[in-house]
Amino acid sequence: MNEINQLRSHLRSSISTLSSLKLYQAAKWSAEALNGMKIDDDEESDVDLIQDEETTPIPTIYQIRLNSKDHDQFELAKTYFDCKEFDRCYTILKNSTNSNCIFLKLYSLLISGDLKREQESEGALGSNDLNSSNKSIPIILKEIESLFNKDKSYKKNPFINYLYGITLLKQKSTSLAQDALITSLKQFPFNWSCWLELIHSISNIDEALNIFQNLESFFHQSFPNSTKFSELIMIKLGKLNCLQEFFQQTPELYNQLNELLEIFPIFSFIKIQKALISYHALEYTECELIFDDILTNDPLRLDDMDLYSNILYVMQKRSKLSYLAQLACSIDKFRPETCCIVANYYSLKFEHEKAIMYYRRALVLNRNCLSAWTLMGHEFVELKNTHAAIESYRRAVDTNQKDFKAWYGLGQAYEILDMHLYSLYYYQKACYLKPLDSRIWQALGNCYDKLSKFKDSIKCYKKSLFLNNNSEISKDVTILFRIAKIFENLNELSNCYEFMKQVLNEELENNQKNDLTSQARLWLAKYEQNLGNWENAYFYAMDMNSGTSQEIEEAKMIAREAKNKMNGITR
Amino acid sequence: MPASPSQHNSTLAISPLVANRTYDTLRSTPNQPLFPSPLAANASAESPSSGNFNRSSLGNGGARSANTSDNSINNLSQAEKLRLWRHDALMQHHYKTAEYIGDKVLSLTNDPNDAFWLAQVLYSNGNYYRARQLLSKNNLDSSSVSCRYLSALCLMKLEKFDEALDIVGETNPFKSEAQHVKNLDGGIKLEASLCFIRGQIYARLNNLERAKDCFKEAILVDVKCFEAFDEMIRNNMLTPLEEWELLSLLDFQDADENGDLIKALYTTRINKYVNGDKFEDAELKLNEEYNLGENNDVLLSKADLLFMQCKFQKSLEICEKILNKDEFNFATLPTYLSCLHEIGGKNKLFYTAHRLAAHYPKHSISWLAIGIYYLSINRITEARKFFLKSSLLDPNFGQAWIGFAHTFAAEGEHEQAISAYSTASRFFPGTHLPNLFLGMQYLQMSNLILAEEYLLSSYSICTMDPLLLNELGVIYYHKNHLESAENYFTQALSVAKKIDSDSKAWQSIHANLGHVYRRLNLFPRALYCFEKVLRINNNDSNIYSAIGLIHLKLGDFNKSIENLHHALSINNNDPVAKDLMRRALEENGLSSEENHISSNGSIFFKRSNELLQLNSNTLNYQKNNVTPLFNRQKNIINNNSNTLNQSIEQRATDLINGDDSSDDDDAIMEIESE
Repeated sequence: MNEINQLRSHLRSSISTLSSLKLYQAAKWSAEALNGMKIDDDEESDVDLIQDEETTPIPTIYQIRLNSKDHDQFELAKTYFDCKEFDRCYTILKNSTNSNCIFLKLYSLLISGDLKREQESEGALGSNDLNSSNKSIPIILKEIESLFNKDKSYKKNPFINYLYGITLLKQKSTSLAQDALITSLKQFPFNWSCWLELIHSISNIDEALNIFQNLESFFHQSFPNSTKFSELIMIKLGKLNCLQEFFQQTPELYNQLNELLEIFPIFSFIKIQKALISYHALEYTECELIFDDILTNDPLRLDDMDLYSNILYVMQKRSKLSYLAQLACSIDKFRPETCCIVANYYSLKFEHEKAIMYYRRALVLNRNCLSAWTLMGHEFVELKNTHAAIESYRRAVDTNQKDFKAWYGLGQAYEILDMHLYSLYYYQKACYLKPLDSRIWQALGNCYDKLSKFKDSIKCYKKSLFLNNNSEISKDVTILFRIAKIFENLNELSNCYEFMKQVLNEELENNQKNDLTSQARLWLAKYEQNLGNWENAYFYAMDMNSGTSQEIEEAKMIAREAKNKMNGITR
Repeated sequence: MPASPSQHNSTLAISPLVANRTYDTLRSTPNQPLFPSPLAANASAESPSSGNFNRSSLGNGGARSANTSDNSINNLSQAEKLRLWRHDALMQHHYKTAEYIGDKVLSLTNDPNDAFWLAQVLYSNGNYYRARQLLSKNNLDSSSVSCRYLSALCLMKLEKFDEALDIVGETNPFKSEAQHVKNLDGGIKLEASLCFIRGQIYARLNNLERAKDCFKEAILVDVKCFEAFDEMIRNNMLTPLEEWELLSLLDFQDADENGDLIKALYTTRINKYVNGDKFEDAELKLNEEYNLGENNDVLLSKADLLFMQCKFQKSLEICEKILNKDEFNFATLPTYLSCLHEIGGKNKLFYTAHRLAAHYPKHSISWLAIGIYYLSINRITEARKFFLKSSLLDPNFGQAWIGFAHTFAAEGEHEQAISAYSTASRFFPGTHLPNLFLGMQYLQMSNLILAEEYLLSSYSICTMDPLLLNELGVIYYHKNHLESAENYFTQALSVAKKIDSDSKAWQSIHANLGHVYRRLNLFPRALYCFEKVLRINNNDSNIYSAIGLIHLKLGDFNKSIENLHHALSINNNDPVAKDLMRRALEENGLSSEENHISSNGSIFFKRSNELLQLNSNTLNYQKNNVTPLFNRQKNIINNNSNTLNQSIEQRATDLINGDDSSDDDDAIMEIESE
């Protein structure tokens, strides 16, 4: 219980630290976490908070310390920041040497640079979009680096490290950025924005596991047993989020999820993670239930509701999606999440232009709105505007390398353009991210097929088949038929025969006929005919009753001939 | 007749001015001081000091009267009273009165001194020809040094340079006698002034070599002849080392107790290429001993230094400080304008240019300011017009010439740019910039031999300009002397680091060094360099292409494709990136099964060998395309307006400026700063 109290007080203190440094989102997250914790009966909840703080010795957590001169200036700068006068905030702190003041100064410079860039670029995908860049970033990097060189003590400020990390990330120096973010987390693990940025920067699962390993062992080593509890909880939360993003479905993950749910029973963030995990496990109903629960408890929440709308879209729940869109609009029309939800709604109604408009709006509101880029790409595909689709998928993978849908979309788009080398590469990328998805393997197989790499193609198709064991049949048939065809091309008729037979077996077992199965039937009939196995040929050709008239005609011919031969032999 | 020149070391000697100076102070200070200045009070209180001045005055009597006391004014003769009147009129700019009375005095006394003074009055009033006539009529200019000086001045004003040269003589006639006779009255030796005017005449006659010698002589004769010093330094007539040598030769005794002060001041004035420590000493001294830290000229030299080190923001702050005190300080303005251009302060440039044009419509700097403004908003044609106007107003104004040349360079008109730069380089033999720009132009025309020559001559003047070092590196890169290229690039980097200049300036050096390492097959180092570039600027497709190529050569297709992907997302028509991408994807298609699924080692190696062979083609291809330095020609044509999407190639040349459009003002500014 003591540990829980400690976690509480840590979260409390982190809220004030984060909000005075204007890291609003992180502060909000901390506050939600604090309020999402179990209400403890044992703890006298009416104990005066201040008293409480006094009795429990606080903690090895980073806090802001300022001397009086810095303090006044810092307060002034904060008010400017609050009034969104970022350049003014920067100027007032220009000569400050306190590390927190420096953080706020550079942070406001970063934001002002972003705003200016936004104005210059005339919106996402606008005419100037690619040429514009945030001009403050080099200045910030240079200043931080010279600070670090000048005085090592600045390296001890977690927030300067955080800022260094995010600017490096924008310059795509990923490994350096990760180092900076990890350092920041070691110094102050309660900055959720920092966790998000770190998780963002990770591009494969091995890397992720290494990083978390590293963090865990750091906290195990550097803290005595009693105090590291809350830090470890933060690591667990980060890890949960990260594994979720990598589509993991291990039992370990479920265990951790449940463990965290014990501590934070009403913390929406964890519920959403749970929902997303079940979404990735294709358990849509479960997922929907969780989101419903979140909405009832927190009806005005917009964060992450765009994910919910994606789920509703996949489930084709049109009325519910419409309800959600209305609700979101009534809460705040100008949130990127709202725009995404509305766009999803239009997409479901096949109003693709409108959908694109709303995705764009979402991107204007937040350039890094992850799903919007990908979804916009899908819309462009629907409109047969392949080049625009490629552009938005590209931007999607630029902002989030882990989005396998965008990679897959890129592959598809290039396939439409008949650029199979390109699409191969993108499918491979998607495959790295989701190696267990049979659709991707099938696409890969198709690609290799087109590139005349038949062996590779067969490998991919087989893998796809293997992974597809338990879902719909029609796909299986297609794949089997493709494999058979490839073997035919390679002139390996015995193998081809095997697979053609399998195709037919699918038909017989499931009693579902379609073009492919009848083609297989015809092929088998011809095959047997060539071998002179008249009985078999007759057997296959006999039941041929679907397909084009030409095929049926052909089958009849074979059947007739076989019958004659059989009669001839018996006679 | 005035006495021999060695007696007349300055105009003070023959002038009633001496007397009148004291007289003026006497008259104006005791009862109604103009300004409450301590100096005036002293002068009036201590008559001995005024007595000093009069010691040597030959006086027409006027002097004698003043040195005794103020009631002696009543004892003056008629002529002397008239002289006082004439002088006072001159001081109060009543030229007509002065002329009228001067004429009367002359008629009364027929004294050559009065003729001289009448000539002075005429000169002040702008009647150069009449002054000259007066002086030559009485044959004064052959007998008196000061008259000779004055008539030379008149001839200068009348732009009759050959005649003027006849009067002052082609060499210094007093060379032997006057050199180290100390001037006792504290004024400037006339010999020095004569040397100075001789130098000016030569300068106007375009004989800069002789002019330089004359200026040198002038300052050696009398260290107080600041104009000669200023002329030399401002126009960069000497190489950096020569400047320091000259400084060490100067005899500061002439300035008496102010010798140290003057020495320190002069030290801060001269170039900052060498002896940085002495410069700092001098600055410290001025600051602490003389408390001149806030003086405009001391501040200006500091601003110039900062400017040379590419610390534009700081330099700008100091310039603004000066301009707050003195709105149109002409010495500061060029640096200020260049800083503004460098930083992109278009608005301030606009305002300054407007105010200048309103107040000084006939001064060359106003038009320079307008030219720079147009340059910074990228309107080349207008900029050229105004630079031209500025250089017409003052044909010796090198900055205008350089700006003029830049407008051609920006449009890729190499021939014209070269001729304009050559003109500029004639005016500034002591600075490395015109030669550097000439070298850059030849480099862009792919004339490596001439380019190297110019750059090396520039290098002989200044060894620590990162831009220059980079250019040299580029030359050797082209000549395939990769080791020397590497050497120069690393030098450039260390210099850039030493002067702690703007990080933007470094990116091209890093990029070029990266390309050198790439060609030397030192891939990890090359990658390291490119990484550094990306941290400064991640918006350059060429860098990503180069990184992609390196990964391709290393056999790491995934990374290669990833980087090419970035390159294409920045510029989706980049042919090099497209071609590389195709190759990388083909490789990926061929080997991926082995690579990422079964990771079959031997096949992988076979592949990578094939890949290397394949890449030799890519490499050759590369040589003509991606690398920073080739097909500049093409780029120039594409980017003729020096706009944003300049590629590495051109950036290599412009590098120090970081900001693409800025190499122009870079020139202007650095020239200013020397």
